[in-house]
Amino acid sequence: MTALAAPPRPRRRSSDGRDAWLLVLPALLPVMLFSVYPLVYGVALGFTDAEAGLNVETHFNGLDNYVELAGNGLFWDSFKIGLIWAFSVTVLQFLASLGLALLLNLDLRLRWLARTLALVPWAMPPVIIAIMWQLMLNPSYGPVNRTLDALGLPSSINWLGEASIALPVVIVVGVWAGMPQTTVTLLAGLQSVPAELNEAAAIDGASTWRRFWHVTLPALRPIIVAITTLDLIWNFNSFALVFVLTAGGPGGTTMLPSLFAYNEAFRYGNFGYAAAMGNVMVILIGAFLFLYLRGQMRRRLQ
Amino acid sequence: MRTRNSAVAGLLALPLALTGCSAFGVGDDEGGSSTITFQSLAFQDTTIAATQSIVDAWNEEHPDTQVELVQGSWDNVHDQLVTQFQGGTAPDVIHDESADIMGFAEQGYLADLSPYLSDEVTGAVSDDVWKSVTAGDGSVVAAPTLLQSYVVFANTDAFADAGVEIPAGETLTWDDLQALAAQLTADGAYGAGWGLQQPTAAVMNLALGFDGTFFTGQGADAAIDVGEDELAVPERIHAMAYEDQSLDPVSLTQSGSDVLPGFFDGKYAMYVAGNYVAQQITESAPEGFNWAVLPPLAGPAGPVQAANPQTMSVAAESDDVEGAAAFVDFFMQAEHQAALAQGDWLIPSSGEARDLVAEQTAGENGWEAILASGEGLTAAPFQAAVNYPQWKDQYATPALQQYLADEITLDQLRQQLTDGWSELG
Amino acid sequence: MTTLAKTVGRRPYARPLQYLALLAYMCFLAFPLLFLLSTAFKTPRELQSPDAGLLPEQFNLDNFTAAIDKADLYTAAGNSLLVAVTTTVIVTAVALPAAYALVRFRTKLRAAATGWILLSQVFPFILIIIPLFLLLKDIGLVNTLLGLVLVYAVWSLPFSLWMLQGYVAAIPVELEEASAVDGAGRLKTLAKVVLPLLAPGLVATSLFTFINSWNEFFFALVLIQDPDMQTLPLALARFVGAEGQVQLGQLAAAALLACIPSLVFFMLIQKRLTAGLLSGAVKG
Repeated sequence: MTALAAPPRPRRRSSDGRDAWLLVLPALLPVMLFSVYPLVYGVALGFTDAEAGLNVETHFNGLDNYVELAGNGLFWDSFKIGLIWAFSVTVLQFLASLGLALLLNLDLRLRWLARTLALVPWAMPPVIIAIMWQLMLNPSYGPVNRTLDALGLPSSINWLGEASIALPVVIVVGVWAGMPQTTVTLLAGLQSVPAELNEAAAIDGASTWRRFWHVTLPALRPIIVAITTLDLIWNFNSFALVFVLTAGGPGGTTMLPSLFAYNEAFRYGNFGYAAAMGNVMVILIGAFLFLYLRGQMRRRLQ
Repeated sequence: MRTRNSAVAGLLALPLALTGCSAFGVGDDEGGSSTITFQSLAFQDTTIAATQSIVDAWNEEHPDTQVELVQGSWDNVHDQLVTQFQGGTAPDVIHDESADIMGFAEQGYLADLSPYLSDEVTGAVSDDVWKSVTAGDGSVVAAPTLLQSYVVFANTDAFADAGVEIPAGETLTWDDLQALAAQLTADGAYGAGWGLQQPTAAVMNLALGFDGTFFTGQGADAAIDVGEDELAVPERIHAMAYEDQSLDPVSLTQSGSDVLPGFFDGKYAMYVAGNYVAQQITESAPEGFNWAVLPPLAGPAGPVQAANPQTMSVAAESDDVEGAAAFVDFFMQAEHQAALAQGDWLIPSSGEARDLVAEQTAGENGWEAILASGEGLTAAPFQAAVNYPQWKDQYATPALQQYLADEITLDQLRQQLTDGWSELG
Repeated sequence: MTTLAKTVGRRPYARPLQYLALLAYMCFLAFPLLFLLSTAFKTPRELQSPDAGLLPEQFNLDNFTAAIDKADLYTAAGNSLLVAVTTTVIVTAVALPAAYALVRFRTKLRAAATGWILLSQVFPFILIIIPLFLLLKDIGLVNTLLGLVLVYAVWSLPFSLWMLQGYVAAIPVELEEASAVDGAGRLKTLAKVVLPLLAPGLVATSLFTFINSWNEFFFALVLIQDPDMQTLPLALARFVGAEGQVQLGQLAAAALLACIPSLVFFMLIQKRLTAGLLSGAVKG
């Protein structure tokens, strides 16, 4: 370990800057053309009173949207639900996927089949996933309750209709739907960890657990950071799955903030106000990510 | 530097090169300007076929104004229209429903059809139903095609087993319904099941039977008044579920199609749902399952429900509003409506078409009671309240869901409904 | 075969436990596929019957033929494939050098790029759709598959870049430097050392791009009107009606057919997620 962890040599040469530009430019150009404009437009919209309508005039209204938003209890309720949802799904997804990725990384029989089946949830559009889970969770005739019944367990649970358990159930479906991408990412990461590191540690006599903790996990860190940040963002913004599963019900207990902003823009036509919600989400989630990433960067540099 | 420039040039050339590639569908723009696009939401195979044949008939008769049929889907039509109206690429003729399309009308996206519709078409539909597609400024922004009503389906064998006679009067009062459900409740089986996962539409529509109008005034000035009449329907449902225990409370948290298997299974002797479910029952009920549609549900104000017709509208920005409106008029003709109604098992708004359906189906498979329930459909005040959709999503639906799950009291329900509206005002 | 596996395997009880754990995972992840499979073979009557078993009474193919006829699945699959493959190729080709540059050259670009990547993913996509739509309309790409490719590519680029920089960062700089000391040029170092180590990461990232383009629904819905140009998710939407009405058997059949190409693709590509190439390359 110590031998490998020599401080990285500074690599600033005069030609580096130019090379970097050359390599980044192809990615930057389409992005400038097609993503910066809509994004800036979307952010700017958050400071206007834009509404749906033919030939409707739009005016800048400064911080009016945010003043109004501050007093919108429903939005903050939904923001809270969004945080619970995003963090639970991301953490559970990460733990479950790490376990699965470690298993799939072993030389087990039928590994090709397991690897393919592990990706099943990914192969289906979110709308199909939601319809399917609705049927699976049907309180009277769904296979889930029937299986519980066959095992002699309580079998009349109203999974999606009971306000107190709807959110946890939706979280489980969210974990299911998002596991493949995290698993594949971590599996690829495990394969990228040079075997030499592990072998060296094994020769030193480190136990399996210690090697996992001190060699594999640190080597995986950049990938773990990358995927958990993305998962967190995606989960916070996820939309289609819950929209079809519960549409925010029962009693508003699964109303995610993206669902809320979507309703504001698409159902009530208040584009400006909805974009302001988007901006608030960007700032709060962005601040959290900044802290998380800064912490991780420091650890990487140490 | 040269490398960099050529890289840029190459990148700019890429989309251009791709543009030339017809596989991406670029460039095969049609030259004819007299094409009208019609986005249909027909879902049942029979309705899709009926729609296609109406379009074919039109195209045969009007070689210079061809209609191109585009298939849309109910599930996403609203979002699609919001984006396309903003971008100015909406179809010329738009199929939707009154509850959804009226918002677009307020935003000015729809053409006034009244100058273009023939007297024949206008006269065949009752003024009450026309009201549900008339905007605040008096313009008619859609032609109402098919209607749905809430009806009570009965498992006639379960009635016979319980020794209960099948009601045959002109109407079925809520008292009758409650009494029937109690009589039909036996161990393990409930008298009734009702999928009310999204309860607001059903409650608002049926409240008219109790004179429960909820709103007074129009547009942005609409005021809410939640009194006994307004709460009669949820209160009755609540009583049946939790006092009589004759209506399965679990079914109240499910969608209509989730509850249907329980009706087939004999778990529920009665099943309250949209009349169009008759089609699914005919198609997929188990062999030997006997059923009927009970007479229209009536409150003290009679068998009235709010009408939320399917609609045909023309985009205000269409290049050929007149041609598109002519097609809508053609589409509204009685024989066309009768064919569509039978495909979807819905009620035609046109009286003439209703007669045709009654004749063609001989009233079988519940059609007689279904058509009868169509007579009581009328416009409701909530349809003219601008903030209704938001109130429905953010306040009414969660509050009703909680009340029907027995989590809040009737007073709390009233409070939440009223406060929610003032919150929005 | 990693050393982790070797040592774990030495304990007698470890192997069965690993199989058991894997089996539990498979039940959780693949059970819905079985459910979909059995649904696809059932008749409408069986689907509504409360006491139908998990398995269909007989394997009737009506749902499959009806689904193919009705939604024109072949055309839709062709379109989806064209769009997804083109997007994946473009995104991977563009993101790979950029990700490498972002990690290895500490320029100011890095902070800006990271900020933009995260911002673009945090802002709810649904709110960007309208300006994006207007932009595409202005350059005449409404109702074209090229428009879809552009949107998907721009949308996938940030996360591809973000993921790939994670994989690049996981490769110890020392390996490159060792190679450079051995006298290899930069290009040779990239080809011989970096690329093989990145292979699994590249596979994972292109899978991301491919699947996201393959499954995307909403933008395709508003952009594509011509029935000949619809993608698979649009075709599937045909089976869902108003008020929760669903043509379940046909939907299940169509959904199964739609996910077969992805599953076959996974099956073929999963080998590439194994670092067979690696050890040799690193040592050489």
